[in-house]
Amino acid sequence: MQLVDAELQESRQVLPGQWLQQYHAPALAVSARAGQFVHVRTGDWSGLVLRRPFTINTADPATGAISLHFREVGRGTAWLTHLRPGDTVDMLGPLGQGFQVDPRSRHLLLVAGGLGIADLRLLVDEALRDGRQVVLLYGCRDASEVYPSSLLPDEVEYVVATDDGSVGHHGFVTDLVLDYEAWADQAFACGPLPMLRTLAGLVTGRKGRLGVATLGRKRGGGRPVPPGSSAARKKAFLQVAMEQTMGCAVGACLGCVIWGVNGPQRVCREGPVFAFDEIDWEATAGVGTQAR
Amino acid sequence: MRAKKRVVTYGKATPPSRGASGGPAPSTRRTPTVRTIRSAIVEPRPGSPQRQPPTAVAPPVAGRTRPAVDLSIDLGRGLVLRNPILVASGTFGYGVEYADVVDVDRLGAICCKGTTLRPRQGNRPPRVTETPAGMLNSIGLQNPGVDAVLDRYATQWAGWHVPVIVNVAGESIEDYVEVVQKLDLVPGIAGIELNISCPNVGKGGLQFAIDQEAAAAVTRAVRRATELPLIVKLSPNVADIRPIAAAIADAGADALSAVNTLSGMALRADRTGPFLGNTYGGLSGPAIKPVALRIVYEVAQVVGIPIVAIGGVTGLDDVLDYLAAGAVAVQVGTAIFADPTLPIRLIDQLADECGRRGLASYRPLIGTALPKRPNAASAKGVEYRP
Repeated sequence: MQLVDAELQESRQVLPGQWLQQYHAPALAVSARAGQFVHVRTGDWSGLVLRRPFTINTADPATGAISLHFREVGRGTAWLTHLRPGDTVDMLGPLGQGFQVDPRSRHLLLVAGGLGIADLRLLVDEALRDGRQVVLLYGCRDASEVYPSSLLPDEVEYVVATDDGSVGHHGFVTDLVLDYEAWADQAFACGPLPMLRTLAGLVTGRKGRLGVATLGRKRGGGRPVPPGSSAARKKAFLQVAMEQTMGCAVGACLGCVIWGVNGPQRVCREGPVFAFDEIDWEATAGVGTQAR
Repeated sequence: MRAKKRVVTYGKATPPSRGASGGPAPSTRRTPTVRTIRSAIVEPRPGSPQRQPPTAVAPPVAGRTRPAVDLSIDLGRGLVLRNPILVASGTFGYGVEYADVVDVDRLGAICCKGTTLRPRQGNRPPRVTETPAGMLNSIGLQNPGVDAVLDRYATQWAGWHVPVIVNVAGESIEDYVEVVQKLDLVPGIAGIELNISCPNVGKGGLQFAIDQEAAAAVTRAVRRATELPLIVKLSPNVADIRPIAAAIADAGADALSAVNTLSGMALRADRTGPFLGNTYGGLSGPAIKPVALRIVYEVAQVVGIPIVAIGGVTGLDDVLDYLAAGAVAVQVGTAIFADPTLPIRLIDQLADECGRRGLASYRPLIGTALPKRPNAASAKGVEYRP
């Protein structure tokens, strides 16, 4: 964790209301892992007292660049969109626990709902770098919000679902998962809470027959790992990146908890990536973030 | 009865001298009273013509030529802080969370997260949200319990120069006493901040802070249970803070901290209900500074023990305001979330400011805004009463 001044290099609107900004922050680019985030300080004007957490969309250690992909939802994000190249932004990061890919996993299934793609984008790069195969399922409302395939590497199999059927599969992205779950060694997801809950429901009770757990069983079964531990998370078939309004983002204020099966879990410290079976999906039902 | 207690001093903290004022003679009383402090303001006024040469001679040039300014402060019972900038409970965890980016050993003191007798899971999420110039939180005193806290952190704290003040919360007087007894005489615990004012828990907490008798009773009970320096944290959610503050001071508190958060709420974006899982939350940040300033100003006129101000400190101006209103130290809270290094910078800025004014100690800055005749306004009953 470091405090760095990141210099804005490029800022553009990639989708209606969604921005992609590239910053020069070598310290972050070198240490960032897929699923981790930065806590960004917005301008002091108009009394914004909290930093804004953004997942690290891409990180390039060679050039020292990181990128953030966000939706303009309130005054903090609006302030970011008004920055000019050359402006510097105070960032704290990289923070949180990222996605953990089991070394045996060859086939990764990524499921993104809308802006959830920002959490998975760096995982795509890391997986391809490590020689893994990636299928990215992407769901959104209609054709105008479809993530441009030009922003993805060619090696990714990219499947789109839209709620109104204007592009790709007509329906939810979770409908597509059944076609790929037998192929996948591990699945990683980020998106709206109902989507994550549906995915967790699909996987629950069948995890013994899915993914790397199966690989382990063919070898006579791995050592039992305590649930909720790092080892258990690494083996989990489905890992999800969660979201919660955040205060300090370093684990001090206990503001960003979600309910896990073992009690409250800090999204900023134990998360934002959790194994699907660490989360108490019933208790998390009402959680939503407020536009700001 | 316990035989002998250690006296807590830190680093090279100078004894609570009376500054360069030549004011009141050094006394052996355990706390600097507001009266003592106020008489110190016959010092040369800042910015007066006679003071121009020193300011011109010692401008802070590029190099760190910081004049030696005495920032130490005695909060009573041997709790001497090296400087008057503390970090507020709940915003700095247990001091270890920000250690990567903040030199915690330079802080005046750390008030750790509210600690209870038994582990608490806290309130349902969501627990925080931003509001105009502030934020709401309703953590609900999530903590692993006093035993776990001591187990995990006490050894580490004992190795730090910075004093760690444990914020203690409870549901009954017995809870408070039991927690405090566990903390008593543990190396690494420099003092206790009695949290009788948490607005976010259904049972306990606030009920002690809004009632004069209850506040005095819990303070007395804790006072009997420990020789540790005892700071009691006041709630702003009361009609008149003065009798409560006076009762707490009479009951044996060494110092007061003011204020805890103000009770408030926020709605969901679609206005279908309250946003916070607990419905209500505590408001903090710059939004509450005028309220906290009013309370510090009022309390400073009715008690003789040191006051630690809390509420919306985001810069040196806020520190100077609180000092002028009668506080001897301040806690930085919500601002840490945006700017973790702020408390350290405030220490340097306060020293620079004293140097600029030609002061050898920051203590002449204390209480300058208090009325010359204490309680004059309230005796007439003319001040604003919400």
